[in-house]
Amino acid sequence: MSSAAPNAIEFQEVTLAYEDRVILDRVSFTVGHGETKIVMGGSGTGKSTILRLVLGLIKPNSGRILIDGEDVTNYSDRQLTHVRQKIGMVFQEGALFDSLSVYDNVGYRLAEKSVPDSQIEESVRRMLQFVNLEEAINLMPAELSGGMRRRVGIARALVGKPKLILFDEPTAGLDPPTARTICELAMKLRDLEEVSSIFVTHRIDDIKIMASAFFSYGENGQVEFQREDDRLCLINTQFMMLKEGHVIFTGTDEELWTSKDPYIQEFLRSD
Amino acid sequence: MQEAALMAGRAFMRSLSRPLYLREIMTQMDLIGVGSLLIISMTGLFTGGILSLQSAKVLTTFGATSETGLLVMTSMVREMGPVLTALMLAGRVGSAIAAELGSMIVSEQVDAMRALGTDPIKKLVWPRILALIVMAPALTMLADILGAFGGWAVSSQLMHVASSVYISSAKEALTYNDIIGGLIKPTCFGLIIAIVGCRAGLRTHGGTVGVGRSTTQAVVTSDILIIVADFFLSRLILVFS
Repeated sequence: MSSAAPNAIEFQEVTLAYEDRVILDRVSFTVGHGETKIVMGGSGTGKSTILRLVLGLIKPNSGRILIDGEDVTNYSDRQLTHVRQKIGMVFQEGALFDSLSVYDNVGYRLAEKSVPDSQIEESVRRMLQFVNLEEAINLMPAELSGGMRRRVGIARALVGKPKLILFDEPTAGLDPPTARTICELAMKLRDLEEVSSIFVTHRIDDIKIMASAFFSYGENGQVEFQREDDRLCLINTQFMMLKEGHVIFTGTDEELWTSKDPYIQEFLRSD
Repeated sequence: MQEAALMAGRAFMRSLSRPLYLREIMTQMDLIGVGSLLIISMTGLFTGGILSLQSAKVLTTFGATSETGLLVMTSMVREMGPVLTALMLAGRVGSAIAAELGSMIVSEQVDAMRALGTDPIKKLVWPRILALIVMAPALTMLADILGAFGGWAVSSQLMHVASSVYISSAKEALTYNDIIGGLIKPTCFGLIIAIVGCRAGLRTHGGTVGVGRSTTQAVVTSDILIIVADFFLSRLILVFS
């Protein structure tokens, strides 16, 4: 009798098609607890669709989707409420609510649950501190740069301490330093908070940094950034490559870089 | 039609469960009600004036200018007030609802809302439905009152009908059935504007072009449905009165 904990996410033969256009074709994969799955592929290969399926925003035509071992495939919006409490989603453009300030955006989830104002403020300030945006607390989304919007989106996704975070191309269209900041935030969540995540990207720079470095606590409790050397292998980071709705690769970064698949080689050379 | 009915049904059924979104409801009432005061006031005032101008001219032929007030009030309360108020609201509010919700769809804000555990029907649709079914009758009453005033101003100042004659004939025109009918209509029209606007907005696709398309669709569909509904409601009210 196995006592192993269920995976954070499990896709079993998931297929999604719109009329005669197949978006995902019998896709299966798992994301373990504390694991980051980096999902890659060209535009229109179904990367973002996977995140929407996890959240239950769209339903598959066939197959099963399990969150923490619970089959949520056919759950209604109401049934999904408690599942979504465990998940934070960072949308591609931030998807901040235009009519709400940064404070109200970040504290939205707590305000919806009628949490006392003092607790909301404490939580919002802590999350904005984490993404280094405390000074923007009273700004409106229209006053933020692209990178700031993504970071506010991350802060909003983290409120309520979800154990699963979904990143939908959070670095797309950003300058390299800002993109790196976003990647480092995702790495801190992976390494220091043991949050499970799916990180959708098509940027090779994101892949390189996330697969070759990690954060840890130093002797005095300070956060330290470290490079992976030859002795280490980041086992909590796995890669998955999609092509035309099919999974064509899953494995570590070492396996990815040495893959003989022409599509993968082309993809890795393209950036 | 089926989808719109389902959406409205879900909004009504979930309206009593927590959270009640009272702040959202008050905000929408303010935007729709207070925000539309000026255009509805102008519409009511000048419609009353036009009715007075046109009817007094015809009534003079029959030597019945004393009935100007009756004609203005009957037209305003039964038809012009509810229909013109609704058409103005469809243009101003219905389009704004479709554009706002459409923009939220294309910028993934509605998806974000769902991801954060919020029901968009309850948070976005219900406050707008409630605000419109409350504010449309209130604004219609305002249009009726200002229409009567506009009619009085024109008939007394331009057509030289005595104020007392105008007021007494206007009072004669008003029956309880007219008043009740004049409030039932805008309630139904408000519901139509809200449902059509929300449905068009939430079904937006195709980016910013889609937002424009949804906005136009919301106004055109609302306008047509208001006119069609007005015919059937008028018939029903006449049967029951």
